[in-house]
Amino acid sequence: MTSTDRTDELHAAGLDGQNRTALGRLLGTGSIGHAEEGSDGVMRATVRIPEDELIWEPSILVFPHGGEIELTLINDDKNTHCAVLPHNGDPKIIWMVNHSKGTARLSLGGPGTYYYGSTTGNDEGRGLTGALVLGGEVPDSAKIDRPPQPRP
Amino acid sequence: MTDYVDAGEAVPHRTLSAVKGQAPATSDVNYERIQGARSEPENWLTYYGTYDGQRFSSLDQINKDTVKRLSPAWVFQAGSSGLHAGASTYSFEASPLIVEGVMYVSGPDGKVWAIDGKTGEELWRYKHASPYDVSLCCGNVNRGVAVGHGKVYMYTLNAHLIALDATSGELVWDVVNGDVRAGESGSVAPLIVKDKVIVGSAGGEFGLRGHMDAFNAETGERMWRTYTIPKPGEPGSETWPDDGEAWQRGGANCWVTSTYDAELELLFQGTGNPAPDFDGGVREGDNLYTDSVVAVDVNTGEIRWHYQFTPHDLWDYDSTMENLLFDGPDGQKLLAHADKNGYFFVLDRTNGELVRVFPFVDRITWGEITPEGKVTPKVYPDEEGVPVHFWPGPAGGKEWTHMSYNPQTGLIYVPVQEVGATATRRRREFKESIPYWGAGVAVDLDDFYGYVAAIDPLTGEEKWRWDNEYPMCASTLTTAGSLVFQGTPTGELVALDAETGEKLWSFQCGSGHHSSPSTYSIDGRQYIAVPTGWGGWVEGFLPGLLGAAAGDALFCFALPES
Repeated sequence: MTSTDRTDELHAAGLDGQNRTALGRLLGTGSIGHAEEGSDGVMRATVRIPEDELIWEPSILVFPHGGEIELTLINDDKNTHCAVLPHNGDPKIIWMVNHSKGTARLSLGGPGTYYYGSTTGNDEGRGLTGALVLGGEVPDSAKIDRPPQPRP
Repeated sequence: MTDYVDAGEAVPHRTLSAVKGQAPATSDVNYERIQGARSEPENWLTYYGTYDGQRFSSLDQINKDTVKRLSPAWVFQAGSSGLHAGASTYSFEASPLIVEGVMYVSGPDGKVWAIDGKTGEELWRYKHASPYDVSLCCGNVNRGVAVGHGKVYMYTLNAHLIALDATSGELVWDVVNGDVRAGESGSVAPLIVKDKVIVGSAGGEFGLRGHMDAFNAETGERMWRTYTIPKPGEPGSETWPDDGEAWQRGGANCWVTSTYDAELELLFQGTGNPAPDFDGGVREGDNLYTDSVVAVDVNTGEIRWHYQFTPHDLWDYDSTMENLLFDGPDGQKLLAHADKNGYFFVLDRTNGELVRVFPFVDRITWGEITPEGKVTPKVYPDEEGVPVHFWPGPAGGKEWTHMSYNPQTGLIYVPVQEVGATATRRRREFKESIPYWGAGVAVDLDDFYGYVAAIDPLTGEEKWRWDNEYPMCASTLTTAGSLVFQGTPTGELVALDAETGEKLWSFQCGSGHHSSPSTYSIDGRQYIAVPTGWGGWVEGFLPGLLGAAAGDALFCFALPES
């Protein structure tokens, strides 16, 4: 199956928008974006909330490894939302009125997947739950002393 | 519209709460002080209260006569926000520590708090971000923190050892110690010994090579790592197949806190099941040091002796649970261990020699252990596709939850689970991060019960038992008030007479118990603190209550002030 097939299939099933087959938009059905790592080692990316879509776009952000992250968050919707984002120490929150823009600086361990969302009403269930996917491996010092093992 | 409204920068969630962000500075908690923890019962300085794992307090304000007036002093709610790992399996499993009125406790999903022990006020909080997709055999849990050297230490779900400033909760250092891509995780409460912080691996269902680790408490530098599965050529390697890869993924994880004898300078670490749990055909031999207690030199990490409770385990009988240290009437240094396999062992802790072994549960069908310690397996899943039923089930006659020893009665109070299971061997290949059981397993949905057994470790005699409709899945706590506290799966915290087992008091906490209560006092008032919240590996220890209400509240009880 190609990505276009998958996109078409989600659309045909009414899963890629608000109040079609389901009430909200199925989580994780938005686009995939990739963060860029700056010369300072900070990984940067931008997510936005398009009008009336109740989704973070991209809804899946991929980072090459764990570390320092700087997200730019844009609310292009005609409603107020927010974001509660994972961060070592305490989650971070940003309030986002209509047509607003802000930033979030996060520190996260990798590899692993973290979710964030707009914690007002049921924005999270309607589609405003996004994924931060951190790739990479743990440091060699944290690995088990054994030969390489098969993976799925 | 062109210009965006400036939403500013995201701020820590806690800044929009009543949390103070600061705890009172306490006196230093160092090695000498933890060694003498029994002499300051107003505090609960280390995981088991004391290094010996007795879970006994000499506080006696709450006693057989006064306990009927015991009432909630305050309740702390952990709560959660957003999606988190183990969304349906989290559990509040910790044992709260108390230093001079400040409680330090960890909850599910990487949370640590400093709480005013008198009022329940949240002083500071720290939340380590835990990946949603981290491999967890048994839920989103953490068994507690260590406090010392001005810091609070926690081992996180994604196997980071973190050190926090004890007064502010700010991060001091963060060291990655496990490989989440290999299915490794962290749940153990760290232990401070000397200048070290000791932790161990979790992930027994994912085919790891288990290990325990010591870190410099100040810097986070690893001082030693000891693998609990030997490499080819190392002592114990003869108990693994010569030509195989089994040792590389053999298990023996160390996910419950060690006990420690300061005179011998030995840590007594219980080790977990071999992997795959139920398919022994791919790992012929005794499989050292799985299902064992290993006595580890705290200075070097060297294994001085071991005793294996279930050689070549085929029933998932981890031996990670505590090795309680006590002395015999003649001063003999002894170690007591109630194993998942249903037998209670007393060893000489100087050399690991067996002193006595006897059953402490009613139903044992997997095999038999003679008084001399000879192990004979009888019922096990050895034929592909053929279901085999056995008692105790894989959660054991006693799970990781802890027993306690009261030196006034000489009795050990054991939380007992009477639950069986059926395993059907299903061989599979090993792949990193994929569960590696080697069987399909269904734990009994009925025909279960439980009890607190009061056992004389010098004779093996059961002096009394307090029966319960449901198995006992939480740690006991015993005090000089001649009481034993036990949480039940249905939410009651119960106080029993330590001499007779008579039920003297109970309180319904609203969700089941799977934690370790502790006790302390402030300004002369004694408190009993117990995290509650049914969850974790319920399908393993009591699937008959898989539908019970979850929760994550910490209750603190005291006698009325007037």
